[in-house]
Amino acid sequence: MNSTNRIAAQRYAAAYDALSKTNEEASRRSVLLHEVQMALDSQQEAMNSPRITLQTKKEVVRTALSGSPETANFIELLLEAKRYYLLPEITRRVATLLDDRLGIVRAQVYAAKELTAAQKRHTEQVLAKRYGGEIKADFITDPSLLGGLKIICRGEQIDGSLQRRFAKLEEELTK
Amino acid sequence: MAIRPEEITSIIKSKIEHFDTSVDINEIGTVIQVGDGIARVHGLNQVKASELVDFGNGVKGMAMNLEYDNVGCVLMGPDQQVHEGTTVKRTGEVISIPVGPDVIGRVVDPLGKPLDGKGEIKTEKTMPLDIVAPGIIDRQPVKQPLQTGIKAIDSMVPIGKGQRELIIGDRQTGKTAIALDAIINQKNIPAAERCICIYVAVGQKQSTVAQVVKTLTDFGAMDYTVVVSATASDPASLLYIAPYAGCAIGEYFMWQGKDVLIVYDDLSKHAQAYRQMSLLLRRPPGREAYPGDVFYLHSRLLERACKLSNENGGGSLTALPIIETQANDVSAYIPTNVISITDGQIYLESSLFLSGIKPAVNVGLSVSRVGGSAQRKTMRKVAGTLRIDLSQYQELAGFAQFGSELDKESQRQIERGKRMTELLKQNQYSPLKVGEEVLVLYAGTHGYLDTVSVADVLNYEQQLLSYVRSEHAAVLDELNQSQELTEALEGKVKSLLDEFKTVFRAGK
Repeated sequence: MNSTNRIAAQRYAAAYDALSKTNEEASRRSVLLHEVQMALDSQQEAMNSPRITLQTKKEVVRTALSGSPETANFIELLLEAKRYYLLPEITRRVATLLDDRLGIVRAQVYAAKELTAAQKRHTEQVLAKRYGGEIKADFITDPSLLGGLKIICRGEQIDGSLQRRFAKLEEELTK
Repeated sequence: MAIRPEEITSIIKSKIEHFDTSVDINEIGTVIQVGDGIARVHGLNQVKASELVDFGNGVKGMAMNLEYDNVGCVLMGPDQQVHEGTTVKRTGEVISIPVGPDVIGRVVDPLGKPLDGKGEIKTEKTMPLDIVAPGIIDRQPVKQPLQTGIKAIDSMVPIGKGQRELIIGDRQTGKTAIALDAIINQKNIPAAERCICIYVAVGQKQSTVAQVVKTLTDFGAMDYTVVVSATASDPASLLYIAPYAGCAIGEYFMWQGKDVLIVYDDLSKHAQAYRQMSLLLRRPPGREAYPGDVFYLHSRLLERACKLSNENGGGSLTALPIIETQANDVSAYIPTNVISITDGQIYLESSLFLSGIKPAVNVGLSVSRVGGSAQRKTMRKVAGTLRIDLSQYQELAGFAQFGSELDKESQRQIERGKRMTELLKQNQYSPLKVGEEVLVLYAGTHGYLDTVSVADVLNYEQQLLSYVRSEHAAVLDELNQSQELTEALEGKVKSLLDEFKTVFRAGK
C-alpha cells in the first residue's frame, strides 16, 4: 500500500471515529464496521463488478445497514469517492483509534513455549507499568527464541531472548 | 584456521562471564518499500533527521525524510539483504567516522573502514560527519601562505592556509594534477609548517583512485596523506557523505593545532549523487533537477575550512574543491554556486591545455580573494605585477595578430609576455620550493630572459636551477627561508643571475 493510500485511510478512519461522542458509541461503531467489512469481504466480486451500478451497490448497503445510517453513509461515501478498496485498512485503523480512546495498549509477546496464565498476567502487569493503560497482549509461541521473551509494543522491541544473547555473544567473540 | 590471540581460553571465559545480560530495548520500524538504495520505513516514530538506523546484516542507513507516516532512509550498503518487512532499529547516533593519528597514510571509505588491506585502523575517537563550522570568534583571518609548488599559482593565485580555492575546468585539463602537486609539494616544506593532506575521491573510477594512491606513495606523500574514497561503484549515499567524512578527519587534526589541506575531487559528482538521492526520495527538483538545498550542501561543507584563532591552537583547514565543467561552461548551476562560496578559483582552460600551456591556468579568470594578504613578501615583490603584465600581453598579442606596426614599448611587452608565459609552464609532479620559484620569476620579471629565445626559456630555468642548487645553495636557502626580499638578498640574486649569463648554454 502506498503512502497516499495510507494517509487517505487514516483520514477516513479519523473522521469515522470522530462521529462518536462517547466511548460506548465508538466501540459499537468499530465493531459494526468490522462486521460489515467481514460481510462485504465475501462479496468482493459483486462490490467490485462494473456491471452492478453504483446506485445498486448503495441501495444494497443502505438496506443492509438500515439500523445505523452513519455507517451506511460512510460505506456509500467510500463507494462514491472510489476508496472502497481501503475498507480493510480503514477498519484496522478505526480499531486502533478505539484502542487509543479506551487507553488500550496492544502488545505482541513472543516466547519459546506457551506461558502459564500467571506468567501472562505478570507480563501484562509489567508492561502496563511501563506503557500505562490497559495492556492487551497477543501471546505467540516461537521456539527459535530458545528462552526468554521478546515483546513488541508501541513501536518498541524489548528483546530479552536467549537467541539475541547468543547472537550478541557471537558478535562479541568474533569481533 | 589459525588461532587468534583473543581466542585464549581465559579471555573467552572472561568475555562470557562479563557478558552483558541486560535486555535490548530498541525503537523499531518495518521496511515497507526498498529499491535504488532508498528504503521507506513505517514506525520509528521518534527518529531524528540524519540519524543512523540499523537494517541488520551489517547494513546501516540514514534517516533523510521524516514524513507523515513513514521515514525515507538512504542505505549505506547493499540493498539485496533488505526487503519488505525487515525490522529496522534506531541507533540514537548520528553518522560518525573514527579519527586519529593512525588514519594518516591510509586509504579509507567514508565510514572509516580501511580499503588498502593494511589491517584494522586503531583509533579511540570518532567525529560526527556533519559538524557546524567554527564561528567568527573561533577564527582569525587567513595570513599564512600555503605553497603549492606551482609557479603560476603561487605567484598569481596565491592560496592561504584556511582558504577555500576552487579548481575548475573541463575534463582532462589537469585539475587533479594541480591538487596532487600541492600535496606532493608538502614534502618540500619543513615538517613544522607541512600540511596533513586529505584527498577525497568522490565518484571516481577505482583505477583512477588506485593511480592517485600509487603516485602519492611513489613520491613519499602518503606519509602525511589520508585518502577517503567513494568510487563510482559505491552507493550514492556513500558519495554524499565522503566529503564530510574527509572534512571530519581534517577537523580532528585542525583542532590539534595542525595545518590541513583537503582536496574534494570532485564536487560535481557529489552534487549528482545528492541529486540522485533527493529525486529518489521524491524531493522536489529545481534547476537542472538539483534539489533546492544543493547550495547548502556545498556551503556547509566549505564553510568548515578555516584558520582557527591562536586561542584555539591556530590550526587550519584549507580546502581545494574541484568542479568539472561541461564545455567550459562556468555559468552552469553547480559551478556558479561553488564559485560564489569559495574564496577564489583557479580556472583551467582546455584550449590553453591543448596549446601546450601546462598548467592551463587562465590568468584572467583565475583569482584568489584572500590569498594575496597571505602571500610571502618575497613572492609579492617579484610577482606583484605579473598578472597585469600577462593580461596586457594577451591583449597586445591579439592586436599584433593583425600585423600592425607596434611601438617599441609594446613590442617589449609582447616579447616579455611570451617569455613569462613560457616560464610559467611546469611539468606535472615537479613542484618547486618557494625560493626556487622566487628566483626563476625574478629572472623573468627583471629582464634576464629578454636576451634568451622563447624556445630556450624552460631550458634556461632548468640550467639556472641546477646551477644554483650546486653552486649557490646558500642563496637558495636564504630565499626559501626569508620572508622579505631585502636589498642585500636582492643584490645576491642579481649578481648570481649576472654570473649565470656566462654559464648558460642556449639550445641544450
